Amino acid sequence: MLLDEIKRGDTVLEAQGITKRFPGVVANDKIDFEINAGEVHAILGENGAGKTTLMNILFGLYQPDEGELIVGGKAVKFKSPLDAIDLGIGMVHQHRKLVPAHTVIENIILGHPRAGTILNLKRAEEEITALSRKYGFKIDLRAKVWQISEGEKQLVEILKALYRGAKVLILDEPTSALTPIETEVLMESIKTMSNEDLAIVPFITHKLPIVLAISDRVTVLRRGKVVNRIKTSEATERSLAREMVGREVIFRVERKKVERGQPILEIENLSALSDKGVTAVDKMSFTIHEGEIFGIAGISGNGQRELVEVIAGLRKELEGKVTLDGRDITQASSLERWQAGIGYIPADRIDVGSIGEFSLIENLMMNYYFDEEFSRGGTLDYRKMRELTNEIIEEFSVATPGPETTAKSLSGGNLQKVILGRVLSRKPRLVIADLPSQGLDVGATEFVRNKLMEAKQEKAGVLLISEDLDEILSMSDWVAPVYEGVIMGILPGEAAKREDVGALMAGLELGGGAS
Amino acid sequence: MRIGSYELTLKKRETLAGWQAAVISTLAVVFALLLFSLVFVQAEANPLEAYKEIFDYAFFNPFGLPLTINRFIFLLLCACAFIIPIRAGLWNIGMTGQLYAGALSAFAVLFAFGVKGAKSAEYPGELIIPLMVVASMLGAVVVGTIAGYLKGKYNVNEIVVTMMLNFIMFWLVSFMIKDGGPFMNPGGRGESFELAKSLYAPLYKDVPFTVVLALGFALLLYWVFAKTKLGYQIRAYGQNPTAAEYAGISGVKISVLVFVLGAALAGLAGYHYFAAVPGVYKIARSYNFQGDLAFYGIICGLISQGNPIAAIPVALLFGGLTNGGRFVQGKLKLGFGIDYALLGVLMITLVAFQFFYRYQVVLVNTRKETPDE
Repeated sequence: MLLDEIKRGDTVLEAQGITKRFPGVVANDKIDFEINAGEVHAILGENGAGKTTLMNILFGLYQPDEGELIVGGKAVKFKSPLDAIDLGIGMVHQHRKLVPAHTVIENIILGHPRAGTILNLKRAEEEITALSRKYGFKIDLRAKVWQISEGEKQLVEILKALYRGAKVLILDEPTSALTPIETEVLMESIKTMSNEDLAIVPFITHKLPIVLAISDRVTVLRRGKVVNRIKTSEATERSLAREMVGREVIFRVERKKVERGQPILEIENLSALSDKGVTAVDKMSFTIHEGEIFGIAGISGNGQRELVEVIAGLRKELEGKVTLDGRDITQASSLERWQAGIGYIPADRIDVGSIGEFSLIENLMMNYYFDEEFSRGGTLDYRKMRELTNEIIEEFSVATPGPETTAKSLSGGNLQKVILGRVLSRKPRLVIADLPSQGLDVGATEFVRNKLMEAKQEKAGVLLISEDLDEILSMSDWVAPVYEGVIMGILPGEAAKREDVGALMAGLELGGGAS
Repeated sequence: MRIGSYELTLKKRETLAGWQAAVISTLAVVFALLLFSLVFVQAEANPLEAYKEIFDYAFFNPFGLPLTINRFIFLLLCACAFIIPIRAGLWNIGMTGQLYAGALSAFAVLFAFGVKGAKSAEYPGELIIPLMVVASMLGAVVVGTIAGYLKGKYNVNEIVVTMMLNFIMFWLVSFMIKDGGPFMNPGGRGESFELAKSLYAPLYKDVPFTVVLALGFALLLYWVFAKTKLGYQIRAYGQNPTAAEYAGISGVKISVLVFVLGAALAGLAGYHYFAAVPGVYKIARSYNFQGDLAFYGIICGLISQGNPIAAIPVALLFGGLTNGGRFVQGKLKLGFGIDYALLGVLMITLVAFQFFYRYQVVLVNTRKETPDE
């Protein structure tokens, strides 16, 4: 292995003038990049900036059209990821590639050349324990993967790469699925690893604070080119965002004052079960008025999904009542709720919010096919639908070749704009926005938040579900932290203190007692 | 693969136009016929002569052509019966049972009107024939709905249910037509009573009117999928059931609906074969032949990738080859099963060629990558 003999500060991996073209685009345009042992060098860029392509080239999934990769001072050519792994480059994917039914150990040694045909689990366990002790990972090696949290799965992926002898670790969106606490743990682990002379390359689209906290250097990509390389200590969140997006970005959406109107959604004593048959929503009660954003703050898995599904008519309630504009809709079907003015932006854009094989026109139809205007006498008015699609593409600045493009070919941010446009163009009375900016880059996040704020100004009620405290606190008129299906309190948005909301989200009672 | 400075590589297709699919399928048929020539050669027959006999008999012979067309009608209806549920992501393997139910229902109408085998008796055909058609569709719907409802409401696997219903219906037909059964032929023989001549389906040049229904339904279906709200809902559910439910489309309704519609066409296929094809006009002892033939409808539906218009030429080809293949086997005194072997090779080739729906072969000049300038 070329990287066995390296010392702290040596350049371990270098890319010179990497260019990669795809039909119609230059995904990477003469990109230079280098990383030293013991360094964290983040690569930052919006969706479509060429991060994924560069990452795949560094890991041997793509071969560059031009340019060279240099590992430990020697020019190399990767035919496949196997070559990269053999030279000491490890990759931790954003979407975990683990076998849920197997134990942590079994997953780590899966595919390891030394695992051979007969498993020597005992020796492997000793080695892996030593490895995780060295980097301070706390993880139960004998637990099954389905039992452990997302944060722990991430550590398993890292351990797996390290056990294969990785000296350079590529992390794809390392914190995107993690809770705040897990993020802290991961950041700690990254520090330890870089202190132990590993080279770490996190690829990040959003979450600029993390870049600032963990990296030594940052390379910013925009439209396939390196726009800046800078020591992190000299960068600020604002300067990085400007370079990524190419213009000034406003981080906080201005909270617009809107006169509180009639109650739109009333939830009374609502309970519901999760898919596993456990109480997920536990006697929730709250009311959303016209011109109000009601923010539910909490870590995913505390009943938010079930609550949203009950309101949208996709899950049976156990008890309680849902009232929309004074009408009891507890027993209404989801179609009737769409027609009554509920607009639901689901958290899962790909599996719930869109149909990948369908064109954008047909995706927009998902929320319009039942309208008289678009389906007279049972035939669909494609011409009208195409016009609407073009309008939405325009108004929501969706980057796409046209309305006939399939949804699956859009990036996450653009797909979210399509869904947002589809739902908001119906002018719903109640907007349910479940994790609306999750996984989006800085520009798209800003866009989504502004659109929700506009809906509020147009007198809609907005139910905002988010894990991101900044989002909740800057947007909501009311903040309701949830913990294990219980609303822990309803705080006025402007006065709510970050620490209080954080404590309530973690299930702690406030001193004075929550209202 | 390299040829000089050129390299053959596979490229993923972004889109596939209808005509490209047609060209690929035609090439597949040609390739299959070339491949199968080897079998003819091995059987000491001249492949050219064999194919000439097959196609002559299937498509140009005054005896063969009506047979081909009758099979074609049957296969097209069965293919459509498969296509409707498959567009919703559900597998109808129960055309066999559904068409048996259709045939029994059509004969039940005859039974109700007292038709019991007197061939020359006069009956009001203009009343009874439409009733038989409607009854055949309704009877099949009853059987089909079971699978659709169980799937939609309780998520019971529709493949298993339709498959099991095939067996149940098979034996029900047996019970009805064999000795002692209500539809028994007065002469016994383990078959049903025959239609009276006045109840034979109207023919135009030896082709029953069901050809209009089959072609009409295929075109109608194409339009339904392309243009209507109903078609949209079915396709949305087929592509992504979760997203469809999110959009307010009820999975239970769609499941029941596609099986109702699909079974109705299968029932019509049952009417066609047992009460409209000249020379049959009864549920014969070997009624399992028609039941088994329905499975070719699945193949036709799969090869045409759920497109009812594409199913028309495919069903015609399979109708012709089942017919011509059997003929050439007798005429050239080839071994038993050569007709089935031909169909098998054809199916595998057609399915294998669908690889080219997703990939295209391109010739790249590798010299171009290092330009001289």
